[in-house]
Amino acid sequence: MKELIKKSTLSELGMGLKNKEFSSVELTTAYLEQARAMNGQTAAFITLTEEQALESAKKADELIASGKSKPLTGIPLGIKDNICTKGIKTTCASKMLEDFCPIYDATAVARLKKQGAVIIGKTNMDEFAMGSSSGTSYFGAVSNPYDLTRVPGGSSGGSAAAVALNMCAAALGSDTGGSVRQPAAFCGITGLKPTYGAVSRYGLIAFASSFDQIGTMAKTADDCGILLGAIAGKDEFDSTCSALPFKNCLSALNRGVKKLTIGLPKEFFGDQIDSSVKSAVFSAAEVYKNMGAEIKEVSLPDLKYAVAAYYLISSAEAASNLSRYDGIKYGHRSKNGKTYEDVIKNSRREGFGKEVKRRIMLGNYALSSGYYEAYYSKAVKIRQRLKTELDEIFKSCDFILTPTAPTTAYKKGSVEKNPTQMYSADICTVMANIAGLPAVSTTCGYDKNGLPIGMSLMGKAFSEATIIGAASAFEAVFERREAVL
Amino acid sequence: MNYQTVIGLEIHAELLTRSKVFCSCSAEFGGEENTRVCPRCSGAPGSLPLFNRGAAELAVKAGLALNCKINNFSAFDRKNYFYPDLPKAYQITQFFSPICSDGYVNISTKKIRINRIHIEEDAGKLIHDDVKKISLADYNRCGVPLIEIVTEPDIRSAEEAKEFTAAVALALKYAGVCDARMEQGSLRCDVNISIMPEGSEVFGTRTEIKNLNSLRSIGRAIEYEYSRQKALLEKGERVIQQTLHWDDATGVTTALRSKEEAHDYRYFPEPDIPPMFITDEEISAIAATLPEMPESRKVRYSNQGLADADATLLIADKALADFYDEALKGYNNPKSVATMIIVELLRRMNDSGLSAEELAVLPADFAELCKMADDGTVSRGAAKDILKQMLETLKKPMDIAAENGMIMSNDSSEVETAVDKILAANPKAVEEFKGGSTKVFGFLMGQTCRTLGKSANPAIIKKILEEKLMK
Repeated sequence: MKELIKKSTLSELGMGLKNKEFSSVELTTAYLEQARAMNGQTAAFITLTEEQALESAKKADELIASGKSKPLTGIPLGIKDNICTKGIKTTCASKMLEDFCPIYDATAVARLKKQGAVIIGKTNMDEFAMGSSSGTSYFGAVSNPYDLTRVPGGSSGGSAAAVALNMCAAALGSDTGGSVRQPAAFCGITGLKPTYGAVSRYGLIAFASSFDQIGTMAKTADDCGILLGAIAGKDEFDSTCSALPFKNCLSALNRGVKKLTIGLPKEFFGDQIDSSVKSAVFSAAEVYKNMGAEIKEVSLPDLKYAVAAYYLISSAEAASNLSRYDGIKYGHRSKNGKTYEDVIKNSRREGFGKEVKRRIMLGNYALSSGYYEAYYSKAVKIRQRLKTELDEIFKSCDFILTPTAPTTAYKKGSVEKNPTQMYSADICTVMANIAGLPAVSTTCGYDKNGLPIGMSLMGKAFSEATIIGAASAFEAVFERREAVL
Repeated sequence: MNYQTVIGLEIHAELLTRSKVFCSCSAEFGGEENTRVCPRCSGAPGSLPLFNRGAAELAVKAGLALNCKINNFSAFDRKNYFYPDLPKAYQITQFFSPICSDGYVNISTKKIRINRIHIEEDAGKLIHDDVKKISLADYNRCGVPLIEIVTEPDIRSAEEAKEFTAAVALALKYAGVCDARMEQGSLRCDVNISIMPEGSEVFGTRTEIKNLNSLRSIGRAIEYEYSRQKALLEKGERVIQQTLHWDDATGVTTALRSKEEAHDYRYFPEPDIPPMFITDEEISAIAATLPEMPESRKVRYSNQGLADADATLLIADKALADFYDEALKGYNNPKSVATMIIVELLRRMNDSGLSAEELAVLPADFAELCKMADDGTVSRGAAKDILKQMLETLKKPMDIAAENGMIMSNDSSEVETAVDKILAANPKAVEEFKGGSTKVFGFLMGQTCRTLGKSANPAIIKKILEEKLMK
């Protein structure tokens, strides 16, 4: 069983369950054992839901026995702890929501449950998904599966580490500025951020509403596609969710890259990108060329403004979204303070971590009267302009290929103290969120320390099938190395 | 020095949708605390607003009823502030692109311009327990749809403010947009008021009086604030821009917060709700569902020959005006029907506490009654009795008249016989009449009526009595 969960893809696990080679209870037990064994070192999970997981595994086995199983029936999954799970604590890795138990399931979770998937726990993350190291969690920093002294990336670092270490078969993350793709890259797995509106945000605890999107994380691009297929599509509970029926990402028509044009935007290969990362991505481009793709250099001249625009708008939205945490209705309530003002001030002071406070201050500043035009409003204009520049690129390209992060996983505590340095590392990922486009990160190499290097494929809106197909084609010829602790 | 008051109003009206504006909870008034709430309206983490298109339809109706331009494009924004009755800590409103703009309402003295109408959500309610020293929040009202109607500073007196508010309330009721029950808070008013020396064109510093919930308090608050501001200026002091609370019991305004403490609402576009598009076809379709508005109805009634006061009385209650219009279809005599409604029907309704909406008597039956009274089928006195019985039993007026022997006889031979008898029995009275005393005519009339009973037609009796006495 232990070997099985290391090697199997979601479809192989699904087959095994369907053919009764093993039961969901056996599979779930195996993953839970692994999760328990690894969680001490990695802190990948905040909550393990063993009882509920075995309960759903039993039900899944019944479903399989009755011949009514679906692709994810009986498969143990991890859910990022900012996605609401009914009756299971959903903390956003914050003291503020330490004991918060939602009374409803997020649409994505409800859809997984409907398929009979097994939720084995809630994964660790940066507090309120703000960060790219998973080091700001109130419940302790997550470690990188390839080197415990390094960060797993973030904010979905718990999901990434859990998948990399076979603590679950696949996981949901959320991606506001790269939070699925960058940890996927750091942990040597595949992470997909779908088109904005492809997956309902209902039940995803909001960070920045116009950027947030639930994403999928697994060992392969195909697995990310299977998971996406289960959660995507119209949802009447989210009016920003697309009304279009979601296309099957694994359709045979979209395999490979033959006759596709791949753009390499030169601004993504500047000085701030490590040479080992650059050369791994260029080699991948060579691989695609040999598969029959056309490689083309393109340009996104205003990329230099992307990070600033992203941080202004996302922090503004975050400041507003996080205002509801006042300690009155739920969440941490300070014992200090007699007036309403004092109670909320102290509750927020005690309940939020440093990075969250920084974003709230930044966001409120950008929206204040007198500064709105100079900051928020200007950022919105830049956002529009960047979208236009991308539209132009996509007139001649099927997708663009870039690094997922400027570096490989860095040492814990090395970058986090310098917020602007950390923010600027989002340069490779924020564009997909700014423009609401789909992007997938997969491993394309390893650096001299054996740390995974990720590359990103970003496509047109709702072209998930194309980028998953292309990532999958690369994965088929690339030798992935398992993390060994 | 004499001062001119300058007033602008912000009227909040609750829309008559069945469910709330961003979720499917009931929008009904009241209910046990926190029973009409869900993750959306209570701002649970991860929940998202879902716009109730019915609210847009009602807002468009309001816009059309108040002569506004309806905007094909409008969008929602967030107004951010902390208050325990606001669970998300922001109110979803329309700041940058409201659904309606540039309207007006005619009052007796002038035209009051409306700057905009926008849709927003209501907040919850706080209940303070002074004994236990605690405050509790009831979120039932959170997310009830409101429109805010913002005027230009065109109003110049308390009277105009009251007349305008009443006209808006009536128009909204007619359009079926809001029930305008000020005492329940379904229509409330913020008053922005400043004063300037008469003849000046430069507005003074304004104050804002929040949440006035009756026409009377609007009037009183304006009068008070005028005197307060005037006294300040006369003392050589300045009016401070601030938000005020009106205390109806003490009759004074007190400061809630000054400009320095004013909120910075940090408005920005609501990312959870896509912008709203309304086509011209949709607007026309909504316009087609609007009833005739009070203003044009009043003109029509005046043209029918009704006195101004009568027309005003009828249109003040749409259900009553509708009843009147329906009754006219059965008996096209506006003056007669209006008089019967105003003099008899309204009195009876007042006595029994019946509202026009609750009126079960059919307008056609009421028309029939008016006609019976006019053509002498029954006497006027009998008609009153018949109406009373109609309200109680809902029987047809003719049936009531027949059952009670109220149908007046037009058989003059019977009357003649009766008159002859009365004259024979009262020779003294006849003598007096002939001697010039007309007073006794009434006595003889009464005697004859009594003999003949309810079915007697007084007009015929009078005619025959006169003839016989003149002989």
